[in-house]
Amino acid sequence: MDADKNEIFTEDQKDILQEIMNIAFGNATADLSEIIDIYVILSVPDIKTISAENLDSYINNLIDLKKNTKIIEQKFFGEYNGSGLLVFPDINDDEISTILDHSDDINSNDSSEQVPVNEILIEIGNILIGACIGKITSLLNTYVTYSPPDIFPSDTSNKVCLSYHTDKDKTGLVMKTTFTFNEKNIEGFLLLLTNDESFDWLKKALGKFMESYL
Amino acid sequence: MIYEQIFHMVNVGIVILDLKLKVVKWNRWMEIHSDVSCDTLVGKSIFDFYPNLDIKWFNRSCKSVFAFGNTFFITYKLYKTIFPFKPISSFVTLFDNMCQDCIIGPLRKEDKSIEYLYIMVSDVTKIASYERKLLDMGAKDGLTNIYNRKYFETKLEEEIERCNRYKKRFSLIILDIDFFKKVNDKYGHLAGDYILKAFTKIIAKIIRTSDIFARYGGEEFCCILPETVGETALIISERIRGGIEETVFEYKKDIKIKITVSQGVAVFDNNNITKTELINLADKALYKAKKQGRNQVVIA
Repeated sequence: MDADKNEIFTEDQKDILQEIMNIAFGNATADLSEIIDIYVILSVPDIKTISAENLDSYINNLIDLKKNTKIIEQKFFGEYNGSGLLVFPDINDDEISTILDHSDDINSNDSSEQVPVNEILIEIGNILIGACIGKITSLLNTYVTYSPPDIFPSDTSNKVCLSYHTDKDKTGLVMKTTFTFNEKNIEGFLLLLTNDESFDWLKKALGKFMESYL
Repeated sequence: MIYEQIFHMVNVGIVILDLKLKVVKWNRWMEIHSDVSCDTLVGKSIFDFYPNLDIKWFNRSCKSVFAFGNTFFITYKLYKTIFPFKPISSFVTLFDNMCQDCIIGPLRKEDKSIEYLYIMVSDVTKIASYERKLLDMGAKDGLTNIYNRKYFETKLEEEIERCNRYKKRFSLIILDIDFFKKVNDKYGHLAGDYILKAFTKIIAKIIRTSDIFARYGGEEFCCILPETVGETALIISERIRGGIEETVFEYKKDIKIKITVSQGVAVFDNNNITKTELINLADKALYKAKKQGRNQVVIA
């Protein structure tokens, strides 16, 4: 876990956070396959604290925007507060329509109508971001509510510009994990960005999590 | 008491289901549009009344809400019929069912565990109808009501990409009405407009629903024939040529006009050619058809 500015979390807190993420993402992977038949492999998350002024450039360095890049953002609110970004670096419409099983419920009345790719991406965002955040918040004994997912416009001339963290002095917590859909050769990464307003709560929640193991 | 009133007066449908997907609450909006009372439904599985919901996406969403506590935002574009309610009267001709957006999320107990699931249903038929009109306005030619050049070019690019990926083939026809200027000069531009409209209606009846027929500009038209090459493409073009040749266009009562059409056909055969190159090929074939005496089909 790197910090590019002042250290926000102690070494112990960082270790607990990493441990929580490992458990949460492991549980999310297991439940996604067991409960809703979505076979996705989530890597061990990489955790960084990044100052707000460097956050946009960090994300833009990470995402090499192409014509086929798809980014879905979903915000979450509560004691734990932030945003999930699901990034498919290079995916075409046909691949998108294979991620979820729509075999018995495609109800297009008009055969010439195109697959509603953005709507499918929104559903995938709901599931993946919701599964990871759901498991993290459950371990931290809280819950969140969600905004509808948003699709970033696929205009490669624009850089990804996040709509929050405008205060340059503040710091964001970024958790990055890569995911691969089994047997589909579709991969991408998921970024969970935590707003600094949640830091005080998060530190307390990490403490309580540790206490429960002592 | 107050919450109960709000629950019934909001202009959205609210359904509350337990872990076994049995109905716990069904608000007034749902009663009005479904014509099923809350008392009839309570305690029964939602699938008893709405078997159409016993499908993958709905089960997936419910399981996910109970497992992760996430919230699903489902738009009418993805799953058109959630609750098959009648649209309000002014939209009956446009849609068979009310277009609905829906949100599915968790309801928790004091200890934060999930006890119920809620479904909120909004009627978005009006938005869907505006969207349909806007899409039509952007894709259709104002005079003939067939697709316009912009839509055609987008579809042509998509077809090329699709055929490159799946090693498929298709044909492109470019059609031009012979001596159309003479129709305009002799009978006037209103007669010319009438011919263009009547001409497209005849061709629309000859081609298949999967074919994409568009006005390219003036009296020039294009038609993409997916998965169709060689003899079949030629048969379709010949039917068009014959259909136009034998038609007597009656503009007003006493003006009878006869026209013919020349066509150039090009085949996309995974040969790595671009959209412009394909159009040029068909255009050259059309030029040859004109040069050879018009009212004929030439394959590039």
